Amino acid sequence: MSAHVEGQLPHEPEKATLEGRNKVLGFWLFLGGETVLFGTLFSAFLALRHQVLDGPPAHELFSLPLVAIATALLLTSSLTSVFATQALHRHDNKKLITWLIVTVLLGLGFLCLEIYEFYHYVKEGHGFTTSAFSSSFYTLVGFHGAHVALGIVWISLLIGQLAKKGLTVVTAPKAYVAGLYWHFIDVVWVFIFTVVYLMGKVV
Amino acid sequence: MSSNHSAEEKRPVRHKLEGPQKAIVSFILSVLLTLIAFATVASGGINTDFIYIILIGCAILQVFVQMAVWMHMKDRGHAYATVAILFGVFIVFTCVIMAEYWAWW
Repeated sequence: MSAHVEGQLPHEPEKATLEGRNKVLGFWLFLGGETVLFGTLFSAFLALRHQVLDGPPAHELFSLPLVAIATALLLTSSLTSVFATQALHRHDNKKLITWLIVTVLLGLGFLCLEIYEFYHYVKEGHGFTTSAFSSSFYTLVGFHGAHVALGIVWISLLIGQLAKKGLTVVTAPKAYVAGLYWHFIDVVWVFIFTVVYLMGKVV
Repeated sequence: MSSNHSAEEKRPVRHKLEGPQKAIVSFILSVLLTLIAFATVASGGINTDFIYIILIGCAILQVFVQMAVWMHMKDRGHAYATVAILFGVFIVFTCVIMAEYWAWW
């Protein structure tokens, strides 16, 4: 099915080859597994969130403005990665790279905020081993932060590859799948700010 | 052969590229749902169970919008993607119900 001119990218280049389609499908199965991973961490947190021992309880520890800024950063980065995928569909490698850079920078901002937040909590007497609440909190939110960190490294390497090799049927599926990953990170964060921070603030 | 060729030439025209409107509308909707959730908690005063229902409702609605539009799950060819995610959600639902309602009995 060569519905395109030689040397020109086909429509939706991420799905133009069987390998590309398999990558997208395989990635969705991976995201299904990730859902289970985060779901188990959420259920552990839900079961243990009131067991604070001598540590500070959630409503004293969390500050809503900090969480709001982190949420704004990640939500905006999810929108910029939509623009990246739309640039990919328009075969515009320059715009794709630009939007990916913006996404990575917003992700870095989120990560710095989270590092500051954890550092602050430890000083407040909320260490990893303080209580069942603190352990399940750091495991859940830390796992999400590790996903953000991995995404930043992954997309940064991808930006390098896109700059070097250009947009082809080989690089397009990678960029598309990275976009899916970044959206998924934001989707998990929606539940984290709801279940951990907002529900923690409700006394 | 020639008609086949012209049909192939027409193909790219039929592909419509999605504009940024839907993505931006989803973004505004996400921001609004987030604001509702934060405002509900910040104002306080209402019954705790009621607040929880509003929070979880906003989160599920926001995630639904983002997955449908931003992750393209509303588009054709996403049946397996939906099955994969729904399977994950089923396991999560079971775990969460167990943790919330059975763990401390």
